Amino acid sequence: MAVMRMGYVHARVTDLAEAKNHYANTLGLYETLSQDGKVYYKAWDEWDHHSVVLEEGGVGVVKFGFKVEYESDIDLIEKKAQDFGLTVERMSKGENPEVSDGIRFIAPSEHVFEVYHDQTLIGTEVGTHNPDAFPRHLVGVGVPALDHALILAEDVRTMENMFRAVFDFFPTERVQTDLEDDDAHFIASWMTANNQIHQIAVLEGPQAKLHHFAFKLGDWTEVGRAGDIFAMDDVPIDIGPTRHGITRGQTIYFFDPSGNRNEVFAGGYPAYRDRPINKWTPDQIAKGIFYHARELNERFTSVFT
Amino acid sequence: MQGSTVPTVTIHPTGEVIYLDPEETVLYGLYRAGYAYTIGCRRGGCAICKVDCRAGDFHYNRPVADTVITETERSDGTCLSCRAVPETDITIEMRGENLRLVNPFLRQINEKARLRAAALAAERSPLTSTTTKE
Repeated sequence: MAVMRMGYVHARVTDLAEAKNHYANTLGLYETLSQDGKVYYKAWDEWDHHSVVLEEGGVGVVKFGFKVEYESDIDLIEKKAQDFGLTVERMSKGENPEVSDGIRFIAPSEHVFEVYHDQTLIGTEVGTHNPDAFPRHLVGVGVPALDHALILAEDVRTMENMFRAVFDFFPTERVQTDLEDDDAHFIASWMTANNQIHQIAVLEGPQAKLHHFAFKLGDWTEVGRAGDIFAMDDVPIDIGPTRHGITRGQTIYFFDPSGNRNEVFAGGYPAYRDRPINKWTPDQIAKGIFYHARELNERFTSVFT
Repeated sequence: MQGSTVPTVTIHPTGEVIYLDPEETVLYGLYRAGYAYTIGCRRGGCAICKVDCRAGDFHYNRPVADTVITETERSDGTCLSCRAVPETDITIEMRGENLRLVNPFLRQINEKARLRAAALAAERSPLTSTTTKE
């Protein structure tokens, strides 16, 4: 298993001061660096230097970083990306502060992906020596970690093929027009590299756009409490708390002060490479996305940054 | 009403008039008056809540990304309603839908507030009577 996880999301915000207030005081991320107009954050249960980067100017996503286990994985993935027909460039250590050398390529969806093998180790907020269960003075929601992202692409099948071929990801769930894969048009695909139910998902839509990036939570109670914090902080809620039929995750979609969609996500069953893929048909997509209401709101397929 | 202390939004073609507080956005004002329409992030990022401004001036209370409002849209009357704050009374037209009145009680309150503010503004401004005397 070469790719371990989506390690960072680098997003654009229209107003850095408001964004900092949201990500630090509402979500409870820890600022680890502020440099060249960019702010770097980690969540309390993350050990690497950062998982979220914010840059002032515009909205949407600049790039995603994927962390591999070994330095040698970089060469392997570079080869696989080239074999897939992608143009790969090398990035040097320090191009991203506190991030190792690696590679960068533009996916068929026109999103920029970086692959790296090391980030400066900071450690979790509870440490590793006889650690407590959580930090006592969490701020706001106090999310423990970045979880996954949903991106948009004109061609979902090609993106799934790319994630399989280049990153050795496997799909756990899909929305497709026919249960026979060969005859089907893929509308959306949820993919992972390990037991986490999804690390990245791709939904049919305009190229290079961000649907949301999500932070992990423990259970329903924590999702409900997050909703309470959003009410206190006047955070616009898109949907929830509700459950996704797809992944079985418990969720709230909400917006950051620039209109980028965020999610808090709890649960999801364990993913395995040999587990048969859950397939959703378009007539049941509403139940797949919002399990309780079973009705899509107009924003799910039209609101992105 | 140019220069009035009572910024209003008139909806074309129904002629509904809605009272806004100073510095209030068009979207927030319409919702506070009991109306709903297609909106998304409410924070200037998704571009879904655009309406057309047919008369009057407004400014955006935050920087708006070029991917949300294009160069052309900055001068063709496009109004990103969640970030637009009227500078004068404005007239807007919805794009492909009607405003939906979801809370008539708020509509009544807004109407009273608008009439009260208009009466107050007329009282405070002796401009009309003075000019007619001379």
